[in-house]
Amino acid sequence: MTTPVRTRRSVVLTETVNGLTPVLMLFSIFLTLRGHNAPGGGFAGGLVMGSAVVLRYLAAGPRGVRSLRIDPIVLIGTGLFVAVVVGLTSLVVDGSFLESAIWKFHVAILGDVKIVSSSLFDIGVHILVVGVVMAVIVALAEADDEMRGRR
Amino acid sequence: MPGRRSARWALPVAAIAPAVTFGWLVSQAGAVLDGDTAAVDVEWIPQLALSISLRLDGFGLLMGLLVSGIGVLVLLYSTAYFGRRDDLGRLAGLLVAFAGAMLGIVWADGLLTLFVFWELTSITSFLLIGFDDTNAAARAAATRAFLVTGAGGLAMLAGLIILTIVGDTTTISGLLADPPSGTLTDVALVLVLLGAFTKSAQFPFHFWLPGAMAAPTPVSAYLHSATMVKAGLVVVARFAPAFATEGPWRVLVVGAGLASLIVGGIGAMRQQDAKLALAQGTVSQLGFLMVLLGLGTPATTYAGVAMLLAHALFKASLFLSVGVIDHEAGTRDMRRLRGLARALPVVAASVVVAAASMAAIPPTIGFVAKEKAIDGLLENEVGGIGTVALVGIVLGSVLTVAYTIRITVGLLGNDAPGVEVDGTVDADHGPVDPSSVHRPSFGLVGAPALLALLSLVFGLGAGTVGDWLAEVTASLDPETSSKHLVLWPGFNEALLVSAGIVAAGVTLWWFTRAATRTLDARRSQATITYDRIYDGLLEGARRITAATQSGSLPLYLAVVLSTVAVSLFVALAAGATDAISSPRFSNSPIEFVAVVVTGLLAIAIVFARNRFGAAVLLGGSGYALAIVYLIQGAPDLAITQFLVETLTIVVFLLVLARLPSDFAPAPAWAPRIVRIGIATAVGVAVAVFALSASGSRTEPSVGEDYVALSEPEAGGRNVVNVILVDFRGFDTMGEITVLAIAGAGVVNLVRAARRQQRRKNLDDGTADEHEQDADPSRRVGVWR
Repeated sequence: MTTPVRTRRSVVLTETVNGLTPVLMLFSIFLTLRGHNAPGGGFAGGLVMGSAVVLRYLAAGPRGVRSLRIDPIVLIGTGLFVAVVVGLTSLVVDGSFLESAIWKFHVAILGDVKIVSSSLFDIGVHILVVGVVMAVIVALAEADDEMRGRR
Repeated sequence: MPGRRSARWALPVAAIAPAVTFGWLVSQAGAVLDGDTAAVDVEWIPQLALSISLRLDGFGLLMGLLVSGIGVLVLLYSTAYFGRRDDLGRLAGLLVAFAGAMLGIVWADGLLTLFVFWELTSITSFLLIGFDDTNAAARAAATRAFLVTGAGGLAMLAGLIILTIVGDTTTISGLLADPPSGTLTDVALVLVLLGAFTKSAQFPFHFWLPGAMAAPTPVSAYLHSATMVKAGLVVVARFAPAFATEGPWRVLVVGAGLASLIVGGIGAMRQQDAKLALAQGTVSQLGFLMVLLGLGTPATTYAGVAMLLAHALFKASLFLSVGVIDHEAGTRDMRRLRGLARALPVVAASVVVAAASMAAIPPTIGFVAKEKAIDGLLENEVGGIGTVALVGIVLGSVLTVAYTIRITVGLLGNDAPGVEVDGTVDADHGPVDPSSVHRPSFGLVGAPALLALLSLVFGLGAGTVGDWLAEVTASLDPETSSKHLVLWPGFNEALLVSAGIVAAGVTLWWFTRAATRTLDARRSQATITYDRIYDGLLEGARRITAATQSGSLPLYLAVVLSTVAVSLFVALAAGATDAISSPRFSNSPIEFVAVVVTGLLAIAIVFARNRFGAAVLLGGSGYALAIVYLIQGAPDLAITQFLVETLTIVVFLLVLARLPSDFAPAPAWAPRIVRIGIATAVGVAVAVFALSASGSRTEPSVGEDYVALSEPEAGGRNVVNVILVDFRGFDTMGEITVLAIAGAGVVNLVRAARRQQRRKNLDDGTADEHEQDADPSRRVGVWR
């Protein structure tokens, strides 16, 4: 005995998700970038962005994820690539894997800006985590399709 | 097409690298032969005392000249041999990479440097043997060669490490200057010999070499006649002067060498394919070289070095000639070839000269070298084993003469009955029409002709060549410099032995020439044994997997959890209980509430009646725990816990929607009492262990250092994050790699299932809605 796949969508849910998605995206990037100095970080940020994908799936079903036109494997690869490149760059420059380099400079409106190389590493983690969450959702969406196929 | 054009020029361009090497070696030759050695030492991992140390001595010079010189010839020959093909870039790259690795072996002074280059030749030769990657037989041959030489390489690595330790040195020169001895050294030497035997295709590991003939002929000529198979001999030659008297060395070397000499010789008599016959002959010749270089006496080492040179020249020449014949006549089957002496005169002359060198007929270098070998063995400085070696080599040489005549006559003779298939000879298997044989280009005949010519020139100039080789031998064994070695001592009893060998060989060939025609090449016993072991290994693995991986999740959980519980209880019983301390509570009343809620929800899970309820309760328990983290001052942990918990529940529920709502009935082996027992044991063990672990600290926490260094060192005020991305960044790197693999695994499982589904639908002949959905052209992004 299996629960039938949802066929009707809730308008309220769909609209809420549509409104929420950009907010979640921004918030996830904010979480990742502030991670170096305050609670947050790439993993948490990636999970928040991943939940945005999950919400789309809950609201619109497989179509909701499919319309993103993003291959999770590309995200996973990109994330891992960014992280490795940052790590290896600091290995070459500083002689130690992931040794942080700190750049400080002044930007007109923003004031003093400080960029730490490990933040870039965190961005890689972020992208990768989104990819992994998406991969799971894709697997679920696939199961939906399969059920429809078997119907 | 640009790709096509670059592929065409790839081979001659690639030849520049070995050509430059050859030129450089020639420029160094004078100094090196005078006893100067050039050395390079590049630090690699100083903490492990690892460095890439190379040393160019006389022997390295000789081998380097052979590797680079024959490399140039083979690359130029390949240009004419392959014509237009678009994978020649790969071939050129692999051949040059292989040549580089081979040079590394012959110049290696560091023991681990030797191993690194050794493995590089295994890998590149694997890729070269399997160059025709659409051919299943070539792939199987490549795998076989790789597994055999790779296993030998690992044995050698173990031997080299033992030698590093007992000899207290990391270099070959250091080891030879002050050779260790004793049981451990003997073990190490046996392991090193295992590596050398597998690489140089010695009995009983010889079977991979004929299989490796699946490679294109130029590759076979380069790897499996002149270079790679010499790697084992290089090691034996370098070690023998110092270690020949040690333990089982001579017995092993002479035993394996003579066995290969005879087995290969008989194998060469059985083959109808000229290339395979040559390959068997190579096994035989390598065995001969193994005995000479392995005995470790000055005279035999000297003869071995001369034979090494002779063999590289004549065997490469013969292989390349067979390649030309195959290219122009369309077959290598000796029963079908006829009239080639007239159709391919230059090739025929090269074959005759090179074969004369192989059969040790004067005035070739092969004859001179074998004279010296028999002379050295007649002197016999090593007692009984020397006599055994002499008798074995005489017998093997008789075989060598016989199969050499057989191959030469088979290739060039006019008697060609064709190949019978089902009792008749059809057009495809009949004798080749000599008038249909193409004339080869200069590029094809140049290389084998030059190598054959050198076999002759070096034989005629044996006096000068002998002086060079004496210097080369002195770099292997300094003792030889005190003895005046000459290659051609004139008429003596060795010549009588040689004459007897040739006469016996001719007789043997004469009486077997008809009988060997009808033999079918069959799989050798060694190949059968290898296949049995290989198949048995896979079958064993399958059975063990089937026995241990039942596919029952309850069983897996029971095993994993019981193991955790038992090992924790053992640790606790071993004394870890002393440190049990009460956990620290903050004074916040919210924390008390959160802890109680966490516990209550956890207990409630046990009483849940269906999956859905259990999942929700589990999530609730996790949220309550996140609040505890927050109160204890770990906001990062709390955030992550919240997010993970949320996503897990969502995914959990989405999956559960597809499963039966009730728990599956428990398996028969796990009644309620057993399940309660395991669960309780794990719970208690983990709880007690957690309490004990927090009270067991003996070193100060690293946490304080991290907190202090976070801002100045890594420019971050959130120490948790700084630990993740900087201080312990390597750990994070490992974790996200695992995550990436898991994610990729999920994606690929989905795709595999989709492919399977599509295939099933196709088989059913139903093009339903799903099938249309699966049409790749209609799908984008995640659905590719």
